[in-house]
Amino acid sequence: MPLVSTNRLHKFFGTNHVLRGIKLDVEEGEVVTIVGRSGSGKSTLLRTLNGLESIDDGVIEVDGATLEVDRADASALRNLRQKVGMVFQQFNLFPHLSAGQNVMLAPQVVKRTPKKEAEEIARRMLERVGLAEKFDAFPDQLSGGQQQRVAIARALAMSPRVLLCDEITSALDPELVNEVLGVVRQLAGEGMTLIMVTHEMRFAREVSDKLVFMHEGKIHESGHPQAMFAKPATAEFASFIGSLN
Amino acid sequence: MAYHFDFTFVPDYAGMLAQGVAYTLGLTVVGGTLGILIGIGGAVSRTWNVRPFGPLYGYYVELFRNTPFLVQLFLIFFGLPSLGIKLAEWQAAILAMVLNLGAYSTEIIRAGLQATPRGQVEAADSLAFTRWQVFLHVMLRPALRKVWPALSSQVVITMLGSSVCSQISAEELTFVANFIQSRNFRAFETYFLTTAMYFGLALLVRQAMHAIGRHLIVRRPSR
Repeated sequence: MPLVSTNRLHKFFGTNHVLRGIKLDVEEGEVVTIVGRSGSGKSTLLRTLNGLESIDDGVIEVDGATLEVDRADASALRNLRQKVGMVFQQFNLFPHLSAGQNVMLAPQVVKRTPKKEAEEIARRMLERVGLAEKFDAFPDQLSGGQQQRVAIARALAMSPRVLLCDEITSALDPELVNEVLGVVRQLAGEGMTLIMVTHEMRFAREVSDKLVFMHEGKIHESGHPQAMFAKPATAEFASFIGSLN
Repeated sequence: MAYHFDFTFVPDYAGMLAQGVAYTLGLTVVGGTLGILIGIGGAVSRTWNVRPFGPLYGYYVELFRNTPFLVQLFLIFFGLPSLGIKLAEWQAAILAMVLNLGAYSTEIIRAGLQATPRGQVEAADSLAFTRWQVFLHVMLRPALRKVWPALSSQVVITMLGSSVCSQISAEELTFVANFIQSRNFRAFETYFLTTAMYFGLALLVRQAMHAIGRHLIVRRPSR
């Protein structure tokens, strides 16, 4: 049984039909990369997976937590979100809290973890992303790459079953991209289930178990990245990878 | 003809003046604290349109921001007894100040809450925070930090406005000044001194607000 599964997923922005019946299954430990042109619905799809975008039809299931159109109340959302971590393009760290407090906050507030224990978790997570020494630094004292790694640690502190990464290197200076990708590669190696949207094609090819190409709100083509890049099955994907070079 | 200043009356009334200052400060501290708390409640209710508070706060804010403070005070002190609610002058003074500041600070703090970057709320949402937890842990402190200068000014304005409470015989600084000048007829000196005292009080309140504000802003070790 897949860890993450969506079926018949539809989403409208006004009259704009952005997701047109998405069926996506992700197995535990799988690394899935969603690619596609701007406006193809890839970020929207990712954001529906933890309820940041509501859906207009279909069903999302993550590790037993179900989200349906007519049953997407606040507690169903929180139930889903406890299992799904998310890292954003713009990091979105809480500016009034130190790196350590950023990581501690959700366990303390959402899971009622005692402060001391939350601090231990935070130290462990920051160490995991290579920022053990930045526990007391504030977001505006950190580089973009460091902030993004804190954001990853913050998501990991809730022990999510799956981590969503929404173009997490797109806002970074080129020289900082690799330190973040390094952390993601390490997570993939540890068996973390990852679903990401990225423009880093080389990275996607290297770490992904599955590549999903979205086109006009549908999964147009998907499969193993090496095979897809070597021999695109559709003209649209061929043209997409052609436009990258 | 040159005017001869005569401040020799001051020592005789020093005790009264000190009491007036204390009264004014008391009104300001209580009115400021409760007013800001009401403002936080109002800002939250209006931002999320929490029923029934959101709409009620809307009427309240419009009512109190579009009528004179003196009339609000009279309504409370002279009007409410008709409904059987009889307040002492100090109670009426505090109530009027709290309600007045509450209305203004509702809108000031609301502006701060609305300036929260959407991404921070989404980050908290994605960590399974409830709406209330998002407000309390993610939005409130940065919002207060952003609007603290405006809020400080409003508290000072409210403090200065408390002079109006002399009209219902609340024995604050202006009441004392009126009393003194009615005894010694040295209106210029008396109000000159009162002006200086209000100016000093305003600086003091501003400093106090600044100090409180610093606690909202996390102090950090230098790099």
